[in-house]
Amino acid sequence: MDQFVILCFAVVNSIALLALISLGLAVIFGMMRVINFAHGEFIMLGGYATVIANHAGVNLWLSMFVVSPMVVGLIGAVAERLIIRRLYGHLVTTMLATWGLSLFLIGAVTAIFGNTTLGVSAPLGNITIGAYSIGAYQLFLIAVTALLVVCSLLALHWTKYGLIARAAMQNAEMAATLGVDCDRVYATTFIIGAATSGLAGALLAPISGVLPHMGAAYVARAFVTVISGGGALITGFLSAATILGPVEALLSYFATPVVGQASLLLLAVIILRLFPTGVSSLWTGGR
Amino acid sequence: MKLSRRTFLGASAAISGATIAGALSGRAWAASDTIAIASLHDLSGPLDIYGVPSNLCMKVAVEEINAAGGLLGKKVELKVYDCQSDINKYPQYAQKAVLNDRVVMVQGALSGAAREATRPVLRKHKIPFIYGSFYEGGLCEKNTFCVNTGGNQQVVPLLEWSFKNLGKKLYYIASDYNAPRNFGIWNHVMAKREGGQVLADDYYPLDVTDFTAAIAKIQAAKPDIVHSCLVGGPAMSFYRQWAAAGMLNKIPIISIVFAAGNEHEVLAPEETDGVIVAYNYFQELDTPRNKEFLAKVEAVAGKNHPYINGEVFGGYSGVMLWAEAVKRAGSFERQAVLAALESGIRWEGPAGVMTTDGPTHNTTQDVHIIKVKNRVWNLIEKKEQIAPDTYGGKCNVFTNPNQTEFLMPQI
Repeated sequence: MDQFVILCFAVVNSIALLALISLGLAVIFGMMRVINFAHGEFIMLGGYATVIANHAGVNLWLSMFVVSPMVVGLIGAVAERLIIRRLYGHLVTTMLATWGLSLFLIGAVTAIFGNTTLGVSAPLGNITIGAYSIGAYQLFLIAVTALLVVCSLLALHWTKYGLIARAAMQNAEMAATLGVDCDRVYATTFIIGAATSGLAGALLAPISGVLPHMGAAYVARAFVTVISGGGALITGFLSAATILGPVEALLSYFATPVVGQASLLLLAVIILRLFPTGVSSLWTGGR
Repeated sequence: MKLSRRTFLGASAAISGATIAGALSGRAWAASDTIAIASLHDLSGPLDIYGVPSNLCMKVAVEEINAAGGLLGKKVELKVYDCQSDINKYPQYAQKAVLNDRVVMVQGALSGAAREATRPVLRKHKIPFIYGSFYEGGLCEKNTFCVNTGGNQQVVPLLEWSFKNLGKKLYYIASDYNAPRNFGIWNHVMAKREGGQVLADDYYPLDVTDFTAAIAKIQAAKPDIVHSCLVGGPAMSFYRQWAAAGMLNKIPIISIVFAAGNEHEVLAPEETDGVIVAYNYFQELDTPRNKEFLAKVEAVAGKNHPYINGEVFGGYSGVMLWAEAVKRAGSFERQAVLAALESGIRWEGPAGVMTTDGPTHNTTQDVHIIKVKNRVWNLIEKKEQIAPDTYGGKCNVFTNPNQTEFLMPQI
């Protein structure tokens, strides 16, 4: 029984982590078709913002939920203005440009803060379940991720901005004819995506720490999740996370972590072979 | 300047002449009043946490030697190369150091991959390689001298102590590459010798940051000891999540790599207090010689110098042992210096007495079992003069002078 509960926790945790690191990327890639290679670095910057604000005396929760999204959103705004805006529609060029941005951000952070930075430790203590104990913060992380996903869904489908954003994403020309300032929608979307990645980094900081090149550990998994998810913005990556997460968690537990990681990638390959435009083509009809 | 055909040809001839002369003057240092040695470290990129302080230690040693009048009447010059955490730079710069700078010794290449990339180049050019990092042991090569601890010198004392004081059931969690897997074999060797039990050998890829399943597995196995050989930045997440799950005070963690990347400073005390490790050197070591050493480090790098741990200390002890060998040999020549090192150079430094061991090309030394509390290491027990393992007599450069392959411990 204990073991079952713990395994459920590991599975849900694995799904939540995949969803958390993918959300910002899904917003930017899904809506704008911009492949943001600096996604991992946005996560990293979010972590740094929280750690630095917290060491400067700002309350931890305030650092996570306010400082990090704001800082990374701001950096995203600058990046959008200077780089991304000029390259809309050029898929390969944006990839190169954002890769350059990623290297620049790693270099800048290393130059400013050095290679080792003190972290913050996880708050909230732990919960005992029979012979096991788990970090309460990780439960909190799962809850926040769920909340974020629900909020994104609501914002996209129930608000005016969501409607405009979806319109700009589906048919930019038509949206522009109807008076929508598409450039502005893109800029806002990019900033929201960046801020979300920043929040993800902030939330991960207490359990993963911050390092200038930590982004590399997340970016590939985030891409795998988002691409396997396909066209449907939120439900797409969420379903991919729900398929990939449990496989990795359970195989890491019952076999070895290497098998877990390999199966995650293998499964992604199979998904993309069966549904070249992602699992969500099942219900969006391959749009 | 107008470059006529004649001046161009003249200049080319002069350049090629100089190149040939350079190539022929194999002993360019014989006439010069300086002698060059090379430091090959990652001074930038992710691995600079190891490279920068190790390079600093080499610098401290060189300054100490020069302040005392140099070696054989020559000033020692340290040629520093930044390999940028890029493995390709190691063979390239090793070659450059040998051919351009005419160095008589190369030290650095701390990671196993860097070491393996550098070793053959120096072997080919017949320039001694001093290896300063602690490692898995079993490197018994004529051209290389290992001055830090090999596998048995860390794992054996640490596991002896742990099986005696913490319990018999050990759980091994480690990064998935060569050295941790080799250390993993030592766990089994020691469990057999001490009547302990290895419950699991759990290897994780280097980029894993989520250890939820790992921690659940350990909790299910209920070990007395967790032996961690997790390496690198992402793996530090394990200690965070272990502490967050409230396990830090329940099952003790022992390690032979923890703190080599200054984990004890990066992580918070509430995530690390109580971790037990074994190293030849740690900065808090309370000896007069260590105080002198730290004063020299401060003189070179200021008060806020990086923490000097057992990993990077080899930068200092390596150069000092080599210098003692040069003095005994009365020469910088490879054969003479290696013969001197093989004759057993005894040097008393900040970490106690170290003696180079001829047959194994490794070094006999003290090892300290230490425990961290509030980011400070405290001595638990000192194990004196631990000799390198002979691998059943196979680790012997006298009987196997052409040995270049690694030896593996046998369970």
